[in-house]
Amino acid sequence: MIVILFFLILLLASIAAGALGSIVGIGGGLIVIPILTLFLRVDIHYAIGASIVSIIATSSGAAATYVKDRITNLRIGMFLETATTTGAIIGAAIAAYLGATILEAIFGTILIISLVPLVRKIGEEYPPRQELKGIAKKLNLQGDYVERDGRKIEYNATNPGKGLAGMLVAGLISGLLGIGSGTFKVLSMDLAMKLPMKVSTTTSNFMIGVTAAASAGIYFARGDVNPLITAPVALGILIGASIGTRLLVKARNTAVRKIFALVLAGSALEMILRALGF
Amino acid sequence: MEHDAMNLKDPNSMNRILGIVLRSGVVLSGVVIAIGTALFIANHSLDDTSSYLAYNPSSIPHGSFPVSISSIASGLLSLDPFSIIALGFLVLLATPVVRVALSLFLFAAEKDRKFVYLTATVLAILLFSMLATPLIPLFNG
Repeated sequence: MIVILFFLILLLASIAAGALGSIVGIGGGLIVIPILTLFLRVDIHYAIGASIVSIIATSSGAAATYVKDRITNLRIGMFLETATTTGAIIGAAIAAYLGATILEAIFGTILIISLVPLVRKIGEEYPPRQELKGIAKKLNLQGDYVERDGRKIEYNATNPGKGLAGMLVAGLISGLLGIGSGTFKVLSMDLAMKLPMKVSTTTSNFMIGVTAAASAGIYFARGDVNPLITAPVALGILIGASIGTRLLVKARNTAVRKIFALVLAGSALEMILRALGF
Repeated sequence: MEHDAMNLKDPNSMNRILGIVLRSGVVLSGVVIAIGTALFIANHSLDDTSSYLAYNPSSIPHGSFPVSISSIASGLLSLDPFSIIALGFLVLLATPVVRVALSLFLFAAEKDRKFVYLTATVLAILLFSMLATPLIPLFNG
Protein backbone atom coordinates (compact mmCIF):
# COMPACT_ATOMS: atom_id res chain seq x y z
CA MET A 1 0.00 0.00 0.00
CA ILE A 2 1.22 3.53 -0.69
CA VAL A 3 2.00 5.86 2.21
CA ILE A 4 -0.69 8.46 1.52
CA LEU A 5 -3.51 5.88 1.32
CA PHE A 6 -2.30 4.10 4.48
CA PHE A 7 -2.20 7.46 6.22
CA LEU A 8 -5.71 8.50 5.15
CA ILE A 9 -7.33 5.19 6.13
CA LEU A 10 -5.70 5.30 9.56
CA LEU A 11 -6.56 8.99 10.04
CA LEU A 12 -10.27 8.39 9.35
CA ALA A 13 -10.43 5.29 11.55
CA SER A 14 -8.68 7.21 14.34
CA ILE A 15 -11.12 10.14 14.14
CA ALA A 16 -13.95 7.65 14.74
CA ALA A 17 -11.98 5.94 17.54
CA GLY A 18 -11.22 9.28 19.23
CA ALA A 19 -14.85 10.42 19.12
CA LEU A 20 -16.18 7.12 20.48
CA GLY A 21 -13.37 6.68 23.02
CA SER A 22 -13.73 10.16 24.53
CA ILE A 23 -17.48 9.58 25.05
CA VAL A 24 -17.33 6.15 26.68
CA GLY A 25 -14.01 6.49 28.51
CA ILE A 26 -11.93 3.99 26.55
CA GLY A 27 -8.73 4.43 24.59
CA GLY A 28 -9.76 3.61 21.06
CA GLY A 29 -7.57 0.50 20.76
CA LEU A 30 -10.81 -1.38 20.17
CA ILE A 31 -11.01 0.24 16.71
CA VAL A 32 -7.35 1.00 15.98
CA ILE A 33 -5.91 -2.49 16.71
CA PRO A 34 -8.19 -4.53 14.37
CA ILE A 35 -7.93 -1.91 11.60
CA LEU A 36 -4.14 -2.22 11.79
CA THR A 37 -3.82 -5.98 12.17
CA LEU A 38 -6.73 -7.33 10.12
CA PHE A 39 -7.16 -4.67 7.45
CA LEU A 40 -3.74 -3.05 7.06
CA ARG A 41 -1.82 -6.25 7.95
CA VAL A 42 0.50 -4.50 10.39
CA ASP A 43 2.48 -6.50 12.97
CA ILE A 44 0.64 -6.86 16.32
CA HIS A 45 3.56 -5.20 18.18
CA TYR A 46 3.13 -2.01 16.18
CA ALA A 47 -0.64 -2.27 16.63
CA ILE A 48 -0.28 -2.40 20.42
CA GLY A 49 2.22 0.50 20.27
CA ALA A 50 -0.39 2.42 18.27
CA SER A 51 -3.01 1.53 20.86
CA ILE A 52 -0.83 3.10 23.59
CA VAL A 53 -0.55 6.26 21.45
CA SER A 54 -4.32 6.31 20.89
CA ILE A 55 -5.06 5.90 24.61
CA ILE A 56 -2.83 8.82 25.62
CA ALA A 57 -4.15 11.00 22.77
CA THR A 58 -7.79 10.26 23.69
CA SER A 59 -7.16 10.96 27.36
CA SER A 60 -5.18 14.18 26.88
CA GLY A 61 -7.29 15.38 23.93
CA ALA A 62 -10.48 15.11 25.95
CA ALA A 63 -8.96 16.23 29.26
CA ALA A 64 -8.86 19.96 28.59
CA THR A 65 -12.64 20.05 27.99
CA TYR A 66 -13.55 17.75 30.86
CA VAL A 67 -11.35 19.69 33.31
CA LYS A 68 -13.06 22.93 32.28
CA ASP A 69 -16.55 21.45 32.58
CA ARG A 70 -15.56 19.69 35.81
CA ILE A 71 -17.29 16.40 35.01
CA THR A 72 -14.16 14.34 35.71
CA ASN A 73 -13.81 13.54 39.40
CA LEU A 74 -10.09 14.03 39.97
CA ARG A 75 -10.26 12.78 43.58
CA ILE A 76 -11.96 9.52 42.73
CA GLY A 77 -9.69 9.11 39.70
CA MET A 78 -6.53 9.66 41.70
CA PHE A 79 -7.72 7.35 44.54
CA LEU A 80 -8.38 4.54 42.03
CA GLU A 81 -5.22 5.25 40.03
CA THR A 82 -3.07 3.97 42.93
CA ALA A 83 -4.52 0.49 42.28
CA THR A 84 -4.43 0.74 38.49
CA THR A 85 -0.78 1.74 38.19
CA THR A 86 0.24 -0.90 40.76
CA GLY A 87 -1.73 -3.54 38.82
CA ALA A 88 -0.15 -2.40 35.55
CA ILE A 89 3.39 -2.85 36.89
CA ILE A 90 2.60 -6.32 38.28
CA GLY A 91 0.93 -7.22 34.98
CA ALA A 92 3.91 -6.07 32.91
CA ALA A 93 6.27 -8.03 35.15
CA ILE A 94 4.36 -11.32 34.86
CA ALA A 95 3.32 -10.90 31.20
CA ALA A 96 6.32 -12.92 30.05
CA TYR A 97 5.10 -15.97 32.01
CA LEU A 98 1.45 -15.98 30.99
CA GLY A 99 -0.12 -16.70 27.62
CA ALA A 100 -2.17 -13.87 26.12
CA THR A 101 -4.71 -16.31 24.70
CA ILE A 102 -6.06 -17.64 27.97
CA LEU A 103 -6.14 -14.10 29.45
CA GLU A 104 -8.12 -12.76 26.52
CA ALA A 105 -10.59 -15.61 26.85
CA ILE A 106 -11.01 -14.94 30.59
CA PHE A 107 -11.39 -11.19 30.31
CA GLY A 108 -13.68 -11.46 27.29
CA THR A 109 -15.92 -13.75 29.34
CA ILE A 110 -15.88 -11.38 32.34
CA LEU A 111 -16.91 -8.52 30.06
CA ILE A 112 -19.80 -10.52 28.61
CA ILE A 113 -21.03 -11.49 32.09
CA SER A 114 -20.88 -7.84 33.19
CA LEU A 115 -23.31 -6.95 30.39
CA VAL A 116 -26.12 -8.39 32.55
CA PRO A 117 -26.01 -5.86 35.44
CA LEU A 118 -25.23 -3.11 32.94
CA VAL A 119 -28.31 -3.85 30.83
CA ARG A 120 -30.43 -4.11 33.98
CA LYS A 121 -29.78 -0.42 34.72
CA ILE A 122 -29.78 0.68 31.08
CA GLY A 123 -32.57 3.27 31.57
CA GLU A 124 -31.10 4.81 34.75
CA GLU A 125 -30.28 8.50 34.22
CA TYR A 126 -28.89 9.16 37.72
CA PRO A 127 -27.91 6.60 40.39
CA PRO A 128 -30.00 6.65 43.60
CA ARG A 129 -28.31 8.87 46.19
CA GLN A 130 -25.76 6.86 48.20
CA GLU A 131 -24.80 7.46 51.82
CA LEU A 132 -21.22 8.70 52.17
CA LYS A 133 -19.55 6.40 54.69
CA GLY A 134 -16.33 4.51 55.58
CA ILE A 135 -13.28 5.12 53.39
CA ALA A 136 -15.40 7.07 50.91
CA LYS A 137 -16.28 9.52 53.69
CA LYS A 138 -12.71 9.72 55.02
CA LEU A 139 -11.40 10.55 51.55
CA ASN A 140 -14.42 12.68 50.66
CA LEU A 141 -15.19 10.68 47.50
CA GLN A 142 -18.15 12.73 46.36
CA GLY A 143 -18.73 15.47 43.86
CA ASP A 144 -21.07 17.35 41.60
CA TYR A 145 -21.27 18.59 38.05
CA VAL A 146 -23.57 20.91 36.18
CA GLU A 147 -25.69 19.62 33.29
CA ARG A 148 -26.12 21.79 30.20
CA ASP A 149 -29.60 22.85 31.34
CA GLY A 150 -28.09 24.26 34.53
CA ARG A 151 -29.10 21.51 36.96
CA LYS A 152 -26.43 20.64 39.52
CA ILE A 153 -26.03 16.88 39.93
CA GLU A 154 -24.59 15.79 43.27
CA TYR A 155 -23.37 12.27 43.99
CA ASN A 156 -21.54 10.17 46.59
CA ALA A 157 -19.31 7.21 45.80
CA THR A 158 -19.99 3.88 47.48
CA ASN A 159 -18.07 0.57 47.70
CA PRO A 160 -14.56 2.11 47.33
CA GLY A 161 -13.02 -1.28 48.19
CA LYS A 162 -14.78 -3.02 45.32
CA GLY A 163 -13.81 -0.10 43.09
CA LEU A 164 -10.14 -0.49 44.04
CA ALA A 165 -10.28 -4.26 43.44
CA GLY A 166 -11.83 -3.69 40.00
CA MET A 167 -9.09 -1.17 39.20
CA LEU A 168 -6.34 -3.56 40.26
CA VAL A 169 -7.75 -6.05 37.74
CA ALA A 170 -8.02 -3.28 35.14
CA GLY A 171 -4.37 -2.41 35.75
CA LEU A 172 -3.32 -6.05 35.48
CA ILE A 173 -5.11 -6.33 32.12
CA SER A 174 -3.38 -3.16 30.90
CA GLY A 175 0.03 -4.45 31.90
CA LEU A 176 -0.55 -7.95 30.56
CA LEU A 177 -2.27 -7.19 27.27
CA GLY A 178 -1.06 -3.66 26.50
CA ILE A 179 -4.57 -2.29 26.26
CA GLY A 180 -6.19 0.56 28.17
CA SER A 181 -8.92 -1.54 29.81
CA GLY A 182 -11.16 1.54 29.95
CA THR A 183 -14.17 -0.78 29.76
CA PHE A 184 -13.19 -2.39 33.07
CA LYS A 185 -12.62 1.00 34.69
CA VAL A 186 -16.01 2.33 33.61
CA LEU A 187 -17.70 -0.88 34.80
CA SER A 188 -16.09 -0.60 38.26
CA MET A 189 -17.24 2.99 38.69
CA ASP A 190 -20.70 2.46 37.22
CA LEU A 191 -21.64 -0.89 38.78
CA ALA A 192 -19.67 -0.93 42.06
CA MET A 193 -19.20 2.73 43.02
CA LYS A 194 -22.54 3.89 41.57
CA LEU A 195 -21.36 7.15 40.02
CA PRO A 196 -23.35 8.95 37.31
CA MET A 197 -22.40 7.43 33.92
CA LYS A 198 -20.78 10.60 32.57
CA VAL A 199 -18.64 10.91 35.70
CA SER A 200 -17.56 7.28 35.25
CA THR A 201 -16.58 7.65 31.58
CA THR A 202 -14.76 10.99 31.97
CA THR A 203 -12.94 9.81 35.11
CA SER A 204 -11.94 6.64 33.25
CA ASN A 205 -10.77 8.93 30.46
CA PHE A 206 -8.41 10.64 32.90
CA MET A 207 -7.18 7.34 34.30
CA ILE A 208 -6.43 5.52 31.04
CA GLY A 209 -3.97 8.25 30.03
CA VAL A 210 -2.00 7.90 33.27
CA THR A 211 -1.98 4.08 33.09
CA ALA A 212 -0.90 4.09 29.44
CA ALA A 213 1.84 6.66 30.09
CA ALA A 214 3.20 4.35 32.79
CA SER A 215 3.85 1.58 30.25
CA ALA A 216 4.64 3.79 27.23
CA GLY A 217 8.36 3.94 28.06
CA ILE A 218 8.69 0.17 27.65
CA TYR A 219 6.95 0.13 24.27
CA PHE A 220 8.87 3.13 22.99
CA ALA A 221 12.29 1.75 24.00
CA ARG A 222 11.37 -1.62 22.48
CA GLY A 223 10.73 0.07 19.12
CA ASP A 224 6.99 -0.69 19.04
CA VAL A 225 5.94 2.94 18.52
CA ASN A 226 6.31 3.37 14.75
CA PRO A 227 6.10 7.05 13.61
CA LEU A 228 4.36 6.15 10.32
CA ILE A 229 1.50 4.75 12.44
CA THR A 230 1.81 7.18 15.38
CA ALA A 231 1.27 10.27 13.20
CA PRO A 232 -2.16 9.50 11.67
CA VAL A 233 -3.37 7.81 14.88
CA ALA A 234 -2.40 10.74 17.15
CA LEU A 235 -3.73 13.41 14.77
CA GLY A 236 -6.96 11.51 14.05
CA ILE A 237 -7.63 10.77 17.72
CA LEU A 238 -7.06 14.40 18.74
CA ILE A 239 -9.57 15.54 16.08
CA GLY A 240 -12.03 12.81 17.09
CA ALA A 241 -11.71 13.56 20.81
CA SER A 242 -12.56 17.22 20.26
CA ILE A 243 -15.78 16.07 18.53
CA GLY A 244 -16.58 13.44 21.16
CA THR A 245 -16.14 15.76 24.15
CA ARG A 246 -18.60 18.24 22.63
CA LEU A 247 -21.15 15.45 22.24
CA LEU A 248 -20.63 14.07 25.74
CA VAL A 249 -21.27 17.27 27.69
CA LYS A 250 -24.70 17.52 26.01
CA ALA A 251 -25.55 13.81 26.11
CA ARG A 252 -27.87 12.10 28.57
CA ASN A 253 -26.37 9.51 30.93
CA THR A 254 -28.72 6.85 29.55
CA ALA A 255 -27.47 7.49 26.00
CA VAL A 256 -23.84 7.23 27.13
CA ARG A 257 -24.60 3.94 28.92
CA LYS A 258 -26.30 2.49 25.82
CA ILE A 259 -23.30 3.34 23.62
CA PHE A 260 -21.00 1.93 26.30
CA ALA A 261 -22.98 -1.35 26.42
CA LEU A 262 -22.52 -1.74 22.64
CA VAL A 263 -18.80 -0.98 22.90
CA LEU A 264 -18.50 -3.47 25.76
CA ALA A 265 -20.17 -6.20 23.72
CA GLY A 266 -17.88 -5.42 20.77
CA SER A 267 -14.81 -5.40 22.99
CA ALA A 268 -15.72 -8.76 24.59
CA LEU A 269 -16.36 -10.30 21.18
CA GLU A 270 -13.03 -9.01 19.85
CA MET A 271 -11.13 -10.49 22.82
CA ILE A 272 -12.80 -13.87 22.55
CA LEU A 273 -12.31 -14.03 18.76
CA ARG A 274 -8.64 -13.19 19.23
CA ALA A 275 -8.34 -15.90 21.89
CA LEU A 276 -9.89 -18.38 19.46
CA GLY A 277 -7.24 -17.47 16.91
CA PHE A 278 -9.06 -15.20 14.44
CA MET B 1 -8.16 35.30 35.32
CA GLU B 2 -10.92 37.91 35.14
CA HIS B 3 -11.30 38.75 38.81
CA ASP B 4 -8.30 37.17 40.49
CA ALA B 5 -4.67 36.80 39.61
CA MET B 6 -3.20 33.36 38.93
CA ASN B 7 -2.59 32.15 42.44
CA LEU B 8 -1.01 28.76 43.12
CA LYS B 9 -2.81 28.63 46.47
CA ASP B 10 -6.30 29.09 45.03
CA PRO B 11 -7.97 25.84 43.85
CA ASN B 12 -10.01 27.61 41.16
CA SER B 13 -7.04 29.22 39.50
CA MET B 14 -5.09 25.95 39.88
CA ASN B 15 -7.85 24.15 38.01
CA ARG B 16 -7.68 26.80 35.31
CA ILE B 17 -3.89 26.51 35.07
CA LEU B 18 -4.32 22.74 34.74
CA GLY B 19 -6.76 23.25 31.83
CA ILE B 20 -4.44 25.70 30.08
CA VAL B 21 -1.38 23.46 30.50
CA LEU B 22 -3.26 20.41 29.18
CA ARG B 23 -4.60 22.29 26.17
CA SER B 24 -1.17 23.76 25.35
CA GLY B 25 0.47 20.33 25.59
CA VAL B 26 -2.08 18.75 23.28
CA VAL B 27 -1.96 21.59 20.73
CA LEU B 28 1.85 21.65 20.75
CA SER B 29 2.02 17.89 20.28
CA GLY B 30 -0.54 18.00 17.45
CA VAL B 31 1.33 20.81 15.66
CA VAL B 32 4.73 19.06 15.95
CA ILE B 33 3.31 15.76 14.68
CA ALA B 34 1.53 17.58 11.83
CA ILE B 35 4.81 19.27 10.79
CA GLY B 36 6.67 15.93 10.80
CA THR B 37 3.85 14.32 8.83
CA ALA B 38 3.79 17.11 6.23
CA LEU B 39 7.57 16.83 5.76
CA PHE B 40 7.35 13.06 5.37
CA ILE B 41 4.41 13.08 2.97
CA ALA B 42 5.99 15.81 0.84
CA ASN B 43 8.78 13.39 -0.13
CA HIS B 44 7.37 9.92 0.41
CA SER B 45 3.60 9.98 -0.32
CA LEU B 46 3.90 7.30 -3.02
CA ASP B 47 6.41 5.01 -1.23
CA ASP B 48 5.32 1.47 -0.43
CA THR B 49 4.53 1.13 3.29
CA SER B 50 6.03 -2.36 3.64
CA SER B 51 9.59 -1.07 3.97
CA TYR B 52 8.55 1.07 6.96
CA LEU B 53 6.44 -1.60 8.64
CA ALA B 54 8.78 -4.59 8.87
CA TYR B 55 8.96 -5.54 12.56
CA ASN B 56 12.35 -6.64 13.67
CA PRO B 57 13.03 -6.14 17.37
CA SER B 58 16.41 -7.89 17.22
CA SER B 59 17.81 -5.11 15.07
CA ILE B 60 17.02 -2.17 17.36
CA PRO B 61 17.86 0.56 16.57
CA HIS B 62 15.88 -0.14 13.40
CA GLY B 63 17.52 2.62 11.44
CA SER B 64 14.17 3.61 9.97
CA PHE B 65 12.98 5.44 13.08
CA PRO B 66 14.42 6.64 16.42
CA VAL B 67 13.81 4.66 19.65
CA SER B 68 15.76 6.75 22.15
CA ILE B 69 15.89 10.38 23.26
CA SER B 70 19.42 10.78 21.90
CA SER B 71 18.51 9.41 18.46
CA ILE B 72 15.49 11.75 18.34
CA ALA B 73 17.76 14.68 19.23
CA SER B 74 20.27 13.89 16.49
CA GLY B 75 17.42 13.27 14.02
CA LEU B 76 15.90 16.66 14.81
CA LEU B 77 19.14 18.41 13.84
CA SER B 78 18.80 16.99 10.33
CA LEU B 79 15.01 17.67 10.26
CA ASP B 80 14.26 13.95 9.99
CA PRO B 81 10.41 13.70 9.76
CA PHE B 82 10.23 10.55 11.93
CA SER B 83 12.26 12.24 14.69
CA ILE B 84 9.89 15.23 14.59
CA ILE B 85 6.88 12.88 14.89
CA ALA B 86 8.57 11.04 17.77
CA LEU B 87 9.18 14.39 19.50
CA GLY B 88 5.46 15.16 19.16
CA PHE B 89 4.72 11.76 20.72
CA LEU B 90 7.00 12.56 23.67
CA VAL B 91 5.19 15.87 24.23
CA LEU B 92 1.88 13.98 24.20
CA LEU B 93 3.30 11.41 26.60
CA ALA B 94 4.33 14.18 28.98
CA THR B 95 0.81 15.61 29.34
CA PRO B 96 -0.62 12.91 31.68
CA VAL B 97 2.53 13.14 33.82
CA VAL B 98 2.26 16.93 34.04
CA ARG B 99 -1.43 16.51 34.84
CA VAL B 100 -0.68 14.30 37.84
CA ALA B 101 2.15 16.59 38.96
CA LEU B 102 -0.07 19.69 38.79
CA SER B 103 -2.86 17.83 40.64
CA LEU B 104 -0.40 17.62 43.51
CA PHE B 105 -0.41 21.43 43.69
CA LEU B 106 -4.19 21.47 43.26
CA PHE B 107 -4.68 19.26 46.32
CA ALA B 108 -2.08 21.27 48.24
CA ALA B 109 -4.06 24.42 47.40
CA GLU B 110 -7.18 22.71 48.73
CA LYS B 111 -5.16 21.85 51.89
CA ASP B 112 -6.09 18.20 51.37
CA ARG B 113 -3.13 16.42 52.93
CA LYS B 114 -4.42 12.86 52.30
CA PHE B 115 -4.74 13.54 48.61
CA VAL B 116 -1.34 15.20 48.40
CA TYR B 117 0.15 11.89 49.68
CA LEU B 118 -2.07 9.81 47.43
CA THR B 119 -1.16 11.86 44.34
CA ALA B 120 2.53 11.78 45.26
CA THR B 121 2.27 7.97 45.39
CA VAL B 122 0.66 7.81 41.95
CA LEU B 123 3.31 10.19 40.55
CA ALA B 124 6.10 8.07 42.06
CA ILE B 125 4.69 4.82 40.60
CA LEU B 126 4.16 6.53 37.24
CA LEU B 127 7.69 7.90 37.04
CA PHE B 128 9.20 4.62 38.22
CA SER B 129 7.23 2.73 35.62
CA MET B 130 8.02 5.17 32.79
CA LEU B 131 11.70 5.70 33.46
CA ALA B 132 12.94 2.64 35.33
CA THR B 133 11.03 -0.36 33.97
CA PRO B 134 12.39 -0.05 30.39
CA LEU B 135 15.83 -0.66 31.94
CA ILE B 136 14.84 -3.73 33.99
CA PRO B 137 15.11 -7.02 32.04
CA LEU B 138 12.10 -8.54 33.93
CA PHE B 139 9.78 -6.14 32.09
CA ASN B 140 11.22 -6.62 28.65
CA GLY B 141 10.09 -10.16 27.91
